[in-house]
Amino acid sequence: MSTNVPVIDAHPTISEPPKNYLNCSRGFMSWAGTLDHKRIGIMYLIGVSAAFLAGGVFALLVRLHLWEPHGMLFTNETYNQIFTLHGAFMVFIFVIPAIPGSLGNMVLPLMLGAKDVALPRLNLLSFYLWCGGTLLATLAIVLGGFDTGWTFYAPYSLYTDQAVVSIGLGIFLLGFSSIFTGLNFIVTTHKLRAPGLTWFRMPLFVWAIYATAILQVLATPVLGITVLLVAFERLYNIGIFDPRLGGDPVLFEHFFWFYSHPAVYIMVLPAFGIISELVTVHSRKPLFGYKLMAFSALAIAIISFLVWGHHMFTSGQSTFAMFAFSFLTFFVAIPTAIKEFSWVATIWKGSIALNSPMLYTLAFLIIFAIGGLTGVILGALNVDLHLHDTYFVVAHFHYVMMGSIALAFFAGLHHWWPKMFGIMYDETLAKIACALIFIGFNATFIPQFIMGSQGMPRRYATYVPEFEGYHHASTIGAVILGSGVALMVYYLLASLLIRKPAMQNQWGGVTLDWLTPTPPPLENFATPPSVTTEVYDYSTLDYESLRTPVR
Amino acid sequence: MFAQLIQDPAKINYVENPAKPPEIDAWGQLPKLASTFDHVDGLFYFTYIVCIFFFVVILGALLFSVVKYRRKTWDQPAASNVTHNTPLEVVWTIVPLIIVMIMFAWGFKGCMDMTVVPEAASRNTYKATAKQWNWTFTYPNHATPSFNEVWIEVNKPVQFLCESTDVLHAFFIPVMRVKRDIVPGRFQSVWFHPIEIGEFHLFCAEYCGDDHSRMYAKVHVVSAEEFATAPWDKWDDTTPALAAKSGESLYKNLCQTCHSVNGTPAVGPTWKGLFTKQGDTFVGRQREVIEGGAKKTITVDEAYITESVRKPDQKKVAESPYDKNNMTAFPDLDERRIKGLIEYMKSLAAAQ
Amino acid sequence: MSHDGHHSIVIPAPGPEFVPHTVAHHFDSPVQEFQSMKLGFWLFLATEILLFGGLFAAYFYFHEAFPETFRVGGAQLDWRLGAVNTTVLLVSSWTMAMGVRCAQTSQKQKTLMFCALTLVGAVAFMVIKFFEYKAKNDHGLVVFSELFSGYNEATGQLAWFKDYDGVMANVPHGHMFFAIYLTMTAIHGLHVVIGAGLIIWIMKGTAKGRFHAGYYLPVDLVGLYWHLVDLIWIFLFPLLYLVP
Ligand code: HEA
Ligand code: HEA
Ligand code: HEC
Ligand code: CUA
Ligand SMILES: [Cu+2]
Repeated sequence: MSTNVPVIDAHPTISEPPKNYLNCSRGFMSWAGTLDHKRIGIMYLIGVSAAFLAGGVFALLVRLHLWEPHGMLFTNETYNQIFTLHGAFMVFIFVIPAIPGSLGNMVLPLMLGAKDVALPRLNLLSFYLWCGGTLLATLAIVLGGFDTGWTFYAPYSLYTDQAVVSIGLGIFLLGFSSIFTGLNFIVTTHKLRAPGLTWFRMPLFVWAIYATAILQVLATPVLGITVLLVAFERLYNIGIFDPRLGGDPVLFEHFFWFYSHPAVYIMVLPAFGIISELVTVHSRKPLFGYKLMAFSALAIAIISFLVWGHHMFTSGQSTFAMFAFSFLTFFVAIPTAIKEFSWVATIWKGSIALNSPMLYTLAFLIIFAIGGLTGVILGALNVDLHLHDTYFVVAHFHYVMMGSIALAFFAGLHHWWPKMFGIMYDETLAKIACALIFIGFNATFIPQFIMGSQGMPRRYATYVPEFEGYHHASTIGAVILGSGVALMVYYLLASLLIRKPAMQNQWGGVTLDWLTPTPPPLENFATPPSVTTEVYDYSTLDYESLRTPVR
Repeated sequence: MFAQLIQDPAKINYVENPAKPPEIDAWGQLPKLASTFDHVDGLFYFTYIVCIFFFVVILGALLFSVVKYRRKTWDQPAASNVTHNTPLEVVWTIVPLIIVMIMFAWGFKGCMDMTVVPEAASRNTYKATAKQWNWTFTYPNHATPSFNEVWIEVNKPVQFLCESTDVLHAFFIPVMRVKRDIVPGRFQSVWFHPIEIGEFHLFCAEYCGDDHSRMYAKVHVVSAEEFATAPWDKWDDTTPALAAKSGESLYKNLCQTCHSVNGTPAVGPTWKGLFTKQGDTFVGRQREVIEGGAKKTITVDEAYITESVRKPDQKKVAESPYDKNNMTAFPDLDERRIKGLIEYMKSLAAAQ
Repeated sequence: MSHDGHHSIVIPAPGPEFVPHTVAHHFDSPVQEFQSMKLGFWLFLATEILLFGGLFAAYFYFHEAFPETFRVGGAQLDWRLGAVNTTVLLVSSWTMAMGVRCAQTSQKQKTLMFCALTLVGAVAFMVIKFFEYKAKNDHGLVVFSELFSGYNEATGQLAWFKDYDGVMANVPHGHMFFAIYLTMTAIHGLHVVIGAGLIIWIMKGTAKGRFHAGYYLPVDLVGLYWHLVDLIWIFLFPLLYLVP
């Protein structure tokens, strides 16, 4: 075995900032070819944020078009392409990779006390696969767009005369990007934990990412084969989804939802992880029911494989399938309820700091309760027969995807921003933006619940006049929401120029990610960490680090 | 390039003459129920109340904590460090479990009622054929079908056997609380028991392409007496003018999606100029068509139009882009209706 | 990797014809590296199995829906060629296992030999597959030159399914069996080709002396991959050739 020679920095000059992962090397290739998980995390962050803004612009176009009952801007066909693009960008390019790719990459090895993820090369590959997939999806727009809806339901997706193959292959790449990220995180969690960091001392963010990773590895290949089969259908008519050739469109739905239901938990579990971290740090109180929280993340992951049929209650399934899928759907609500209540209990009697990450977290807790509970309404068989494919469903999944996951992503971004860059953004603007987003979000989607239960179908370029008022409200809400997002983009970018130094431990966290220097050095820790205390033990908090600015 | 993305006011495709908006029920959320499926409403409002209850509990707990335990000094520790409370955790596992099991059982029961077709409904079976982007309804004891409008008798359970000739569609009548996907290659059945007289929306609820949002039908629930007069089979062609008028309303229902009458190009060629009036007679225009791969020129006449409607692929218009677009066939349209459409086309010429 | 002064762990080479292995900088020990890679690879194999799982699901679904089609279709395949191919793959799996064994014991020449034998197996498999495809092509069951020419709605004719001998004339949707046959065997064949590529890469490394008792991980992993390719065929063969 070799000996570890410690690096002795004999004459640290006061004026020169210490070396960290951001300033240790320069130049384009030092980023594009980097194997450092933190740099890859930053690249992901830039990528997924751009995807979110692009998806958001499509969303605004959708909302503007729907201002008038006969549609204000586009032909019906263009409208269909725009909402498809919106859905596909938001789901496959933004929300699935967003948290694991950016914050997961950045924080997971830090939390584990590892020098990097287990397979750094694979990590870079999965980022480039993401780029490739995004490129193909964008190419599909140039090749004439695609108007199938993000679900690609056969047989329409087989007949429509548009760039379905390109987007299909794009999704195949994105799928493998997601698989490789998950695989990497599983191995890292198993093998690279610091000494003393037992399974039940891991921060919950790690548990959440771990549970997500299991889903990514086990569910995504089915999506891969599904889009390949659709591509084959279009290339050489294999006929298994095409009713003209004896195929069965409902089989496609099974294939698609076998992935895409677990996928919604691929999206939401990392968000749960972020919220679990943030409620404890900003309440300075150990997480309530830690073990139950860890197990419920795993329980959600496992049950979620068995409920996909709830998207197909109207497709004419057998009675037994209806029975089983509805029953299991309700079961997912239980571990989720445990989580929701435990977060609230963590905040209860804490020392609650109302800073911007915490405001986003509170917004999450409120919005997710609505989003999840409306999911439960949809799980009720006969009610779903009325609500399926109406705006009620649209509102449900925006409450969970935009209102919960995107907000959790923002919360995590604000929380770890000082860690990542060593600088702080403008807190006042951050609070204003959070308020705008919260108000705008609810104004956008509450009207959609109402019109949905009154029967407004989704994916409608035009609609009957009685829904006009609700659509007006929704569009106005989206504009408020958009201005909140724009404000957030502004002050985050501005903070990079203003460079107001953050504190070493900006919020007073006690997990390993806050114990390493800010921003972290290249291999994360100056001395190899080891863990001796239970997780979230705030009695160990070094209050000095909260007031020591980053050099 | 962008010009073709933007909506052309002359080509707006939307439902022109929908049914009146349904009333909203006393609770203010769902459209007033017009069938017997009241379990949907019951369960919907039950879950609604549960949601509001939990929402209020969570919101209350958060607000209370935030006000009471707000951090006042930067180094303030938490007021309590409790990490477990087993009774509480058991309660908040069991209570939601009980609630969701109630919802499940109720929902399943309601669903069984909706999927098991009663004898009375199967004796009153309609056929609904969905294709991009219109509906054809065939009646149990009446030969004439109707298009994008359907009449049913109040207080009589009815079943619809739905069939699609192309892609997925869905049969959705909000006030009846019924929805069923229509899968090509299968028959899907929907039944309900209408109890209110009125005009209601029938939407296509499964995405089916460009004019998915235009795929609308009006449901007329009428009294037994009115039903006996077969209102959908009223085709007034006592005079050519009336026939043209009937033709016009059929045009609006069926053909307007693809054919304009003012010269604007659409999916199909415009009907303007199909006929011109010369003195007292109407003369059809010359038209290049492709029949069996061969190009030829014909004169538009009644036979050609009849064929265009029933077997549109027989003679395809040779002009681009129509040679690449396909028209839905309407083999069920009877002579009188086609005659009415032709009268309408001719009336267009007369109006010039 | 020894930037900013961290010393890396080096596994010495067992002899002059071998090169030492440097453990990647972020691992604390060779064991950690080995186990991480191995776990990662097993997870990857799981995704491969699930990918084929989707195809198997489709197979069973349509086998259920059109049993006659599958029976008659299966009878068109030559089970003897399939059996030969199964044997070829089984033997090559054994030679691969021997190759891994020899790498573990630093027997360079023998590793090379066994890898070469495995490669021969891969090529033999693909050659036999080629003749099978050709036979299908000649009978119009899968007309490769027309594969992408589409479907004629008016006549209901699939360009790539001509069925010159009319063997599938009496069963519903005769093309369905061959569509699934083609898709499954082509994707499997792609895996064989990739596997062969990996074996060549392993042989290069072996020749350079990179793999030895101290460090044979890549050989081990490629071996696993090859067994997976074999395993999938073991399922494909009875399902396509024998079950009908
Ligand atoms: C990340 C995304 C996400 C998440 C987390 C969820 C969570 C849930 N979803 Fe959602 N869903 C989607 C994304 C998501 N969904 C999308 C994208 C679609 C539409 C796709 C499309 O068609 O395009 C969809 C559609 C959808 C449908 C199909 C609707 C239809 O098309 O007809 C159903 C039906 O069962 C459903 C149910 C649920 C349930 C039961 C949960 C549960 O997991 C929720 C659990 C949470 C709670 C229960 C709240 C917290 C708990 C409490 C406040 C305590 C009290 C609780 C009780 C008393 C139960 N969802
Ligand atoms: C993560 C997923 C996600 C997210 C975050 C969103 C966000 C939003 N969505 Fe999304 N949506 C989906 C996923 C998502 N959506 C999916 C899957 C569908 C179904 C598609 C289908 O049916 O196939 C859908 C469908 C859908 C519809 C229904 C369309 C239809 O059925 O006809 C509507 C309509 O209102 C809508 C609106 C919105 C709005 C207003 C937002 C807002 O929250 C967006 C807020 C963001 C912004 C407003 C961006 C702000 C940007 C700027 C201010 C510009 C700055 C620019 C630069 C700096 C370059 N969405
Ligand atoms: C789905 C779109 C669509 C609908 C709905 C439709 N058509 Fe067409 N129609 C077309 C297209 C495309 C063509 C040109 C190609 C062809 O001839 O097949 C056409 C051609 C025609 C022609 C020949 C026109 C000419 O200029 O030579 C007539 C007549 C016609 N349609 C009548 C009707 C009538 C009557 C209806 C309603 C009952 C109708 N169409 C509904 C798409 C449509
Ligand atoms: Cu038909 Cu949507
Ligand atoms: Cu789901």
